[in-house]
Amino acid sequence: MKQIISLSINGKQFEDAVSDNMLLIDYLRNTRGLTGTKTGCDGGECGACTVIIDGQARPSCITLASTCHGASIETIEGQARNGILTPLQQAFHENLGTQCGFCTPGMILTAEALLRHNPDPSEDEIKQALGGNLCRCTGYVKIIKSVRTAAEANP
Amino acid sequence: MSDTLPNFQLLRPDTIQAAVAILHDTENAKLCAGGTDLIVNMRRGLATPKALVDLTAIKEMQQITNDTEGLHIGAGVTLSELAQNTPHSAIAQAALAIAGPGHRFAATVGGNLCLDTRCQYYNQSHWWRKSNDFCLKYRGETCHVAPSGNRCRAAFTGDLAPAFLVLGAEVDIASPQGIRRIPLAELYSGDGTDYLTLADNEIVTKIHLPPGSAKSVYGKIRIRGALDFPLAGVAIAAKKSARETRFRIALTGTNSRPVLLDDPAPFTTNDSAETYFSALNKAVQKAASPQRSTITAPLYRKQSIGALAARLAQGLTND
Amino acid sequence: MIEPIKGTVVGQPVPLVDGIEKVTGKAVFTADLIAPDNLTGRILRSPVSHGRIIRIDTSKAEALEGVTAIVTGEDCAFTYGVIPIAMNEYPIARDRVRYRGEAVAAVAAVDARTAEAALELIELEIEELPAVYTPKESRAVGAELLHDNKPGNLEREVHHEFGNVEDGFASADLVSQEVFHCAEINHAQMEPHAALAEYDVSRDHLTLHSVSQVPFYVHLTLARCLEMDTSHIRVVKPFVGGGFGSRTETLNFEIIAALLARKAGGKVMMQLTREETFITHRGRPDTEVKMKIGLSKSGKITAAACEVVMSGGAYAGYGLVTILYAGALLHGIYDVPTIKYDGYRVYTNHPPCGAMRGHGTVDVRHAFECLLDRMARQLNLDPFEVRKANMLAAPMFTANGLMINSYGLPECLEKVKAASGWNERIGQMPEGRGLGMACSHYVSGAAKPVHWTGEPHAVVSMKLDFDGGITAFTGASDIGQGSTTIVAMAAAEILGVDLGRVRVLTNDSAVTPKDNGSYSSRVTFMVGNAAIEAAKAMREKLVAAAATKLDVSPDEVECEGESFFVAGSSQSALPFQDVAIAALASEGTINVKGTFTTPVEAQGGKHRGGAVGSTMGFSYAAQVVEVAVDPDTGQIAVDKVWVALDCGFAINPLAVEGQIEGSVWMGMGQGLSEETHYKNGLPVHGNFLDYRVPTIVESPDIEVHIVESIDPLGPFGAKEAGEGALSGFPPALANAVANAIQTDVNFLPLTPDRLLVALNKSRRAARRKEAS
Repeated sequence: MKQIISLSINGKQFEDAVSDNMLLIDYLRNTRGLTGTKTGCDGGECGACTVIIDGQARPSCITLASTCHGASIETIEGQARNGILTPLQQAFHENLGTQCGFCTPGMILTAEALLRHNPDPSEDEIKQALGGNLCRCTGYVKIIKSVRTAAEANP
Repeated sequence: MSDTLPNFQLLRPDTIQAAVAILHDTENAKLCAGGTDLIVNMRRGLATPKALVDLTAIKEMQQITNDTEGLHIGAGVTLSELAQNTPHSAIAQAALAIAGPGHRFAATVGGNLCLDTRCQYYNQSHWWRKSNDFCLKYRGETCHVAPSGNRCRAAFTGDLAPAFLVLGAEVDIASPQGIRRIPLAELYSGDGTDYLTLADNEIVTKIHLPPGSAKSVYGKIRIRGALDFPLAGVAIAAKKSARETRFRIALTGTNSRPVLLDDPAPFTTNDSAETYFSALNKAVQKAASPQRSTITAPLYRKQSIGALAARLAQGLTND
Repeated sequence: MIEPIKGTVVGQPVPLVDGIEKVTGKAVFTADLIAPDNLTGRILRSPVSHGRIIRIDTSKAEALEGVTAIVTGEDCAFTYGVIPIAMNEYPIARDRVRYRGEAVAAVAAVDARTAEAALELIELEIEELPAVYTPKESRAVGAELLHDNKPGNLEREVHHEFGNVEDGFASADLVSQEVFHCAEINHAQMEPHAALAEYDVSRDHLTLHSVSQVPFYVHLTLARCLEMDTSHIRVVKPFVGGGFGSRTETLNFEIIAALLARKAGGKVMMQLTREETFITHRGRPDTEVKMKIGLSKSGKITAAACEVVMSGGAYAGYGLVTILYAGALLHGIYDVPTIKYDGYRVYTNHPPCGAMRGHGTVDVRHAFECLLDRMARQLNLDPFEVRKANMLAAPMFTANGLMINSYGLPECLEKVKAASGWNERIGQMPEGRGLGMACSHYVSGAAKPVHWTGEPHAVVSMKLDFDGGITAFTGASDIGQGSTTIVAMAAAEILGVDLGRVRVLTNDSAVTPKDNGSYSSRVTFMVGNAAIEAAKAMREKLVAAAATKLDVSPDEVECEGESFFVAGSSQSALPFQDVAIAALASEGTINVKGTFTTPVEAQGGKHRGGAVGSTMGFSYAAQVVEVAVDPDTGQIAVDKVWVALDCGFAINPLAVEGQIEGSVWMGMGQGLSEETHYKNGLPVHGNFLDYRVPTIVESPDIEVHIVESIDPLGPFGAKEAGEGALSGFPPALANAVANAIQTDVNFLPLTPDRLLVALNKSRRAARRKEAS
């Protein structure tokens, strides 16, 4: 079974026929070519696939594409505008919040959603918000620093 | 590596009646809301429904209301909404202890109350289970946790159930015959496979909490600070008067159902705290019956949840 | 100590030169190479731990619409393995399977669902053989042999004695021995394994994109297993999502993808699941360490004896190197007059182990540092003082022939002692809280590569062309550690140009020079030195051109800040672009290269196995860990870590910090929560719920101090930074727990269930003591 879904991705409107059993991550990567969203596990355990759906950072690997009809989705590719990095992207880059870069898109998008509703999070609030995003390189130290730096850069 | 969900038809009714009708008329249909449990299991080949009934369009299941009869929580309320909108500490703490924040935006109250039971022999890939001759819970003949027994020992691991249980929750269940209301404890059968008492055409639609001023708390034994299912979890409600404190205690993660303990004798001003809470610790350990359903040893789950329960209960008397 | 040189580029914290791609989603990883003509590859895996393959019938699967190719062991008769003398693994099992999950067949199909369906249609008949899962079982008399040429299921035993340990123990005031057990762990890099193989039928050319840390080894293995000329193969490494050693040898899925692509005459994307990535394994083996140390009253170590048994899994892999490292790295950190080592690498019917960050040393270091701590307590000595009583004096050679030219451990100890407030706080901690410390070290590149060719150990080539851009070419695999950035920084520093003028092209065998790969922390030291040499060669050309233009001799010319000038002269400086044009005018596009060859004296002792552990220099680390232990639940909270690491010189202090934090934290994972679990050989841990990589919530603040001892052979004085601190964490943790709850534990990880058992045991012992 297929359904036509209409949704916004990074501010652009799309209409696509998707199978009922298509996962959002497969839709984004295979149909829309947005490969910045990563698969790190076999479903719902690592956070690498996190995208922002209607303002909430959620795992796309256990979300059905057809349930996103009418939704507004943001992926890592839509963060920088006209090549200008967002404060979070800038901070992750400058503070080495990313090493191998594989968890980074999910990490940045989760942090982005956090900063939008809590522009000045404490270290503990950052930890709680990023609890579902695993990173294997950084020990998280510079990730926390990156989020704090971005928060401070936001007046 | 994804792109391998089995074929199914996704249906999205916008009323409870319509959802019940679809369930009634469709063979091998499963309910789905946030999908954080079912989709994960489907990706591992643990369910191959012909139809998924997506409940997220049913607005009447997504409300939290408060009146003289207490608090009424729609089964479609998400865990993050629940955590922000409950006056009960145990419920908020339990909700926030579930999985990661991303899951909690999607996962629902009903989904967590109906969470599939879990076991190290069950929550594995198709190749894994096939190599192990499957198991009693799904496609197999033997429970690998207790091979000599004849029932599935998978553990119920929903965090919310014990919190709701100690606060005296009842649930509404919709079926083609209408809506019936039962105490939450009666939702669970105690069997690891058929762990709910729901019929195939029934849906948990609402949770009712009676008014009350009990203080409550939820504590969870897990290895990591996030993501983990409970190795064991305990909710405690305390009603305090001038000369005594009455506790209600419920467990999760330890048995194939959430366990509401028989109410312990109240803690009175005459009791020695050490004796009382040591007895409470023992009572909790007695009620807990963890099996080898997790890689972490059952004895630890028993001992640690007893100790944690005693400490949390004592904490409530001090507040 | 030589003063560190802070250059205009080196010594400054520099964000990764490929960091923008990572934060914008533009970084293309192997699995991102999605194309409409990709076929999907899937692997059929053995359901049993040990057995003879009686029959594989693929006819039904082949008949399924959408199936393009199926391969089995019949399609490749060549073994592979990272150690030339120990290649005993087939890419797809032939005749025998030796672990659950071993590849027995593979399918290429139009999509994932078809490939999955085809796997179900392959008929597999296996006659089961007895399986062994522990060294005890596999070493038992009459145990089924995994490999006919390996009696006793022993892959390798090592017996080394330097000096006379019995004399050493006889002269000690206290001799203690303990047995430690460290569980098997996995790298769990965030990117699951993936490879894209494309075969060009007309030309008989194969192109493989893969997640490798060692594309050169993959290249050689593909040629061997596919019987192809190496010139017909091209291996490309896109962005790689971490490695930590999991990808330091060719892995079966890389070869299988290539076999499928050739058979299908097309392009096959092989993406493994997380479970399959765990099954591919090559992690740190389950290890038992019997450690014995002799100590004088003043804390001087008189002797050490160590017996190690590693449960290595079903194939050789890196096994013999791991068991040799474990013994070799007993040396090189403290002054221990005599050391005896007995090591046994044992086959078991589990997925093969391999190299993991801190290769070989971690579990042995854990045992050593824990035992030393306990003995210090017994003798009423401060653990810092015991370490300080046993310092080495560089330059020197160890008893087993390891070269040490720089040694910053004393300064590391001072830094973490002061930073943690050790003197004021130790012994004053409230009940349930504790401080613990430990030291560690690691090699900066294996001085002898496993494929010995006589070639230089590293080559970097460099090009200057009409655009004025400097392009460095390297085969060094950046897997997130920042090696590409190091090459760019070295070039910019030597040439006196902006970092933005330098491009680094990496890891395409058609373009970049051969590199042995990213393992043994060799890249900064070897490739960094080669990059310096290449840049110097380039500078020589430019300086010559500038000298002609300035009408001076070349040795009077200096280059800095994108210009060339005569030192101390008022003559105006020439901009880089003018000098480049002048240099190009005489010979056209300039291509130069730099190489690095390890000095002979760095290549280890003459004894058998002496090459393993040999290196140009060791990094050194000391750390203090603070914990709070919940006596009711056995839960350990790590509140803070202070760590100091001597990396020689921090070429990029930002990356050095990141490496130290990451390695300390990975040690924490091994210390607290990570371990594999098998049920009769079936991996129960093949996911991120049962394999417990720490989350951000319980991860502590890590305070990093960089110590710079300036190694005489290191690039700008640098040594390694990415592994040395790891092995100090688990023992510092165990020592902190002992300090907090007066309970010593001899296992890793210190999970709360095990800790509660230990606590209850010591409580009972205390009660008995009180009663008597």
